[in-house]
Amino acid sequence: MQLTRRLGTIALATGLCAATASRCAADEMLDTQTLGSLFRSFTDSGHVTVQSLMNDWAFPFAGQAALSLHWNNEHVTIPAIAAAPGSAEAVDAITTASRPITTNAFQDYVKVRNEIQGELTREHAAVDYYLSSETDYLAQQVGAKTSRDFHDQRLNVAVGTSYGWDAIKPLADADTRTGSSGKTTVHADAVATQILSPTTVLRWGLEVFLVDGLQHNPYRNVYAGGTHVPERHPDHRQRRDTFLKLNQYLSNRSSLKFSYRLYNDNWGITSHELGTSVNQYVTHGLVASYEYRYYTQTRASFYRSEYLTTSGIDGYLSGDYRMNELASHLFGASVQMDMKALAPGHRLLSRTGLWLNWERYFNSNNYSANILETGVDIHFQ
Amino acid sequence: MTPRDAARCGRFALALAALAALLTLGTGCAAQAYRREHLADPIMSFKAQAKLDARKMKSFEAREGSTGGTGGAGGGCACN
Repeated sequence: MQLTRRLGTIALATGLCAATASRCAADEMLDTQTLGSLFRSFTDSGHVTVQSLMNDWAFPFAGQAALSLHWNNEHVTIPAIAAAPGSAEAVDAITTASRPITTNAFQDYVKVRNEIQGELTREHAAVDYYLSSETDYLAQQVGAKTSRDFHDQRLNVAVGTSYGWDAIKPLADADTRTGSSGKTTVHADAVATQILSPTTVLRWGLEVFLVDGLQHNPYRNVYAGGTHVPERHPDHRQRRDTFLKLNQYLSNRSSLKFSYRLYNDNWGITSHELGTSVNQYVTHGLVASYEYRYYTQTRASFYRSEYLTTSGIDGYLSGDYRMNELASHLFGASVQMDMKALAPGHRLLSRTGLWLNWERYFNSNNYSANILETGVDIHFQ
Repeated sequence: MTPRDAARCGRFALALAALAALLTLGTGCAAQAYRREHLADPIMSFKAQAKLDARKMKSFEAREGSTGGTGGAGGGCACN
């Protein structure tokens, strides 16, 4: 909690400094900065709500360098357990908890997460730092990437790497037996973007993640061998994926986008993701987009809907449905408005973009969610 | 590394080589610089989509067993 307060103070100070700096240098910097603000609301069939307010600020330095800052303040509400204390329903709800269970398990649980990210870019290289903080979880990450053009800028190849380290300190809980722990993630990627024709561009990427440390929910218990035992996942996970994205421009001022991703890890999960979207200029400055995504995965080798003994499978037990077979669908629609089309002469509006995005997600575990995003971007260019 | 893991790595490397070949062959018919106005349109941009993709990846990671697809590590916790 103290960390969250400290982060809030740092973020506030950063924001004030940014505002002051931009105000002082307004005459020089007004034509080069970008400001963006986004509100995101997430609600799901389990009545979990997440409300996020994100702010982005980017400005260039002399010598082709640029700095971008991102801050996200997020409020997560996990509902109270809706069953009478002591009933079988309440026990089931508690054993699959994604929240600490204390004496007030029958009240809503609210937590706050702050996320700060800074990226410094210069020509074709960038370094970044990421920090995410909540009461029981602190994540940090440093990364670097670079890219290079080939064949008269028809082919771009980018490579990147990052290292993340997380500190996990589960809160006091009626039945949590997991102490403080940590997790590290080493990541590397290579992405190639190729222009195939004046209206077609292809992107292909390859990613590898090596994760070590605590990777299960410290608050969750699993029903096994007639009793409840703490969830336990392997400490090491190798994750890799490759993806293809194809964007095609059409003659009626629209574009079609296709994507495919193949994922595999050493826990036994293999997944396929197919996505497509249509983006259409409805009128000057107004773009409407429609999206569909299909996803399917196999289950982890140690996942079972029921465990006969407390030792599970090879010593591992999971109550996490993400480890099971599943399929999901997502439908989305969005509109983006460039205010320049409405007020070309206005000093502020002509630099402003507004957008609204809605998504409906549902999967084979009877889980569904609605995601609503609305945002504003101001480009001082 | 088990034989099964080795086979998976082999398939991955094969996919890498095949796609590299595809990209190399594709350069022959690529657009000249002066014919790229459609490719620069915001509705064709990968970059304009990047932030949205990163937010989506974070949401999907919390509800599905896989990750990736954006060309960068997500970071943060998987709690929500």
